[in-house]
Amino acid sequence: MVELERRGVPSVIFTAEHFVADARRSALSFGLSGLPLAVVPLPFTNQRPEDVHRMAEAAVEQVVAGLTAPVEAWAAEAPPLTDERLVYEGGDLLEAWEGMNRDFLGRGWSDGFPLVAPTPRAVEAMLRGTKRDPTEVIATLEPGFGIATVEKLAVNAVMAGCPPAHLPLLIAAVKCLAEPKMYIRNKAMSTGPHAPLVLVNGPRAHLAGLNSGMCALGPGAPSAGNTVLGRAVRLAMMNVGHTYVGVSDMDTIGSPLKYSLCCAENQAGSPWEPYQVTRGFAREQSTVTVHFVYGICELHDFRSTTPEDLVEVFATAATNVAQVGTALWLIGRRADPRYKTEEKEHNTLFICPEHAQIFARAGWGRREIQQALYQAARMPFRTLMLNKEPKAMEVAHPELAWLADHPDLLLPVVETPECFEIAVVGGAAGRGAYFYGAGEPVTMPVDDP
Amino acid sequence: MARLEIQNPVARTVQHSVNPAARLRDLRGATVGLYWNMKAGGDAALDRTEALLASRFPGINFRRYTGSVGWLMRHCTAEDADRIASEVSAVVGTTND
Repeated sequence: MVELERRGVPSVIFTAEHFVADARRSALSFGLSGLPLAVVPLPFTNQRPEDVHRMAEAAVEQVVAGLTAPVEAWAAEAPPLTDERLVYEGGDLLEAWEGMNRDFLGRGWSDGFPLVAPTPRAVEAMLRGTKRDPTEVIATLEPGFGIATVEKLAVNAVMAGCPPAHLPLLIAAVKCLAEPKMYIRNKAMSTGPHAPLVLVNGPRAHLAGLNSGMCALGPGAPSAGNTVLGRAVRLAMMNVGHTYVGVSDMDTIGSPLKYSLCCAENQAGSPWEPYQVTRGFAREQSTVTVHFVYGICELHDFRSTTPEDLVEVFATAATNVAQVGTALWLIGRRADPRYKTEEKEHNTLFICPEHAQIFARAGWGRREIQQALYQAARMPFRTLMLNKEPKAMEVAHPELAWLADHPDLLLPVVETPECFEIAVVGGAAGRGAYFYGAGEPVTMPVDDP
Repeated sequence: MARLEIQNPVARTVQHSVNPAARLRDLRGATVGLYWNMKAGGDAALDRTEALLASRFPGINFRRYTGSVGWLMRHCTAEDADRIASEVSAVVGTTND
């Protein structure tokens, strides 16, 4: 709508009360304070047509005013606290630190857990983890168009509890977030529980003390490094990208995965080439991959001894139509029109070493698993369309209109076999993890000078 | 009294600025675009809006739009926006929740 205003077209948008702050923040980010809203009590989704009609009727005067009355800029919010140094006082340092945490919670700058105090000394020590200049701008991070300097990332890394060796990894992760193909605006501002799954490959993973084995996704001491690095990514999304709950992050339920979701690949336990090689990087190149995911399903199987049987079990995790990405290809592709990017919906599998060995013994690599899953993970067309807009399919795939006459035809849950990303992670025992993905992963080299 | 000095974690932002379009004096005779991003229910809201506006403003007419790219949400490309801007004098949208 802001783009239409820019072109001289007065516009007004329907917005549910619950999303007014989100709509305003979005319009402000794009530079238009006062974009007219026709506010209705509830979202139109999941409403009966007659209820939608009633809401539209009640809002029609707002529609008329939005197109004919002068636009008035919204009253300014409380000005942001731009002081680069903040001071907290208390009877002792612990009290002062508690005050800092209370204040940060009140401002929305905290993930809810106590934060390490980003003192100038701690930030200086963190900056020794990179040779980059503290003022270097790594990216402009949406949705808030925050300027991600090395120093701001270092401050958030300190708050998360990271050691300096994590800073280059956080920088690479932020580059992933800022890559246009990531379309982070969509994932950060959604009502969905998009969580950045961070996978580190290469020698930097070991140097950073990241866990790839038992309980790699935490909690506990072996994964302490994973926990704080994943947390730093979330804090960077918040305080650098301005992804704040209730303001821009409108997640309906939320997810514990959003606090921290990070590990390294278990290369020692993998029979295959490292994951980053599948992404076009050299074996010795350290990389960070970020894949936004909605949720996780266990891949448990203690009985199977053949690839075919394992795939049959894995396919049951993939055939879950309640996960938004399942067969989303039927109604199009995630797309950011500003950058003309399109994403297919990918899903990530963490295959445990024991299962990986079963595949490898039979001569299966990633490609064979992808192909087999693509064949096995299928559902009836009618089921896949239960939670999808039929008109969107008509627009995206007019050539598939014939499917309406074949409701029981089995269709793949992903667009192509390559939509299954595969990494080896974890300790002993036959339990992996299936992540329902949101769009495609992005991989960046850890290229600290 | 102990004093804890820390660094602000919040990044400054790039500022954008767009001037709002001039509003219409009257909707009579106007061509209004009805933009639906294909989120469920938005089309029903536009259906009712069209009927209500048509009953109040003689000569008003409508054009329907959706974005040319996307999935759960269909988005406008720059080309879509150019085309809409060339065809209508105002737009009512259902693009949010």
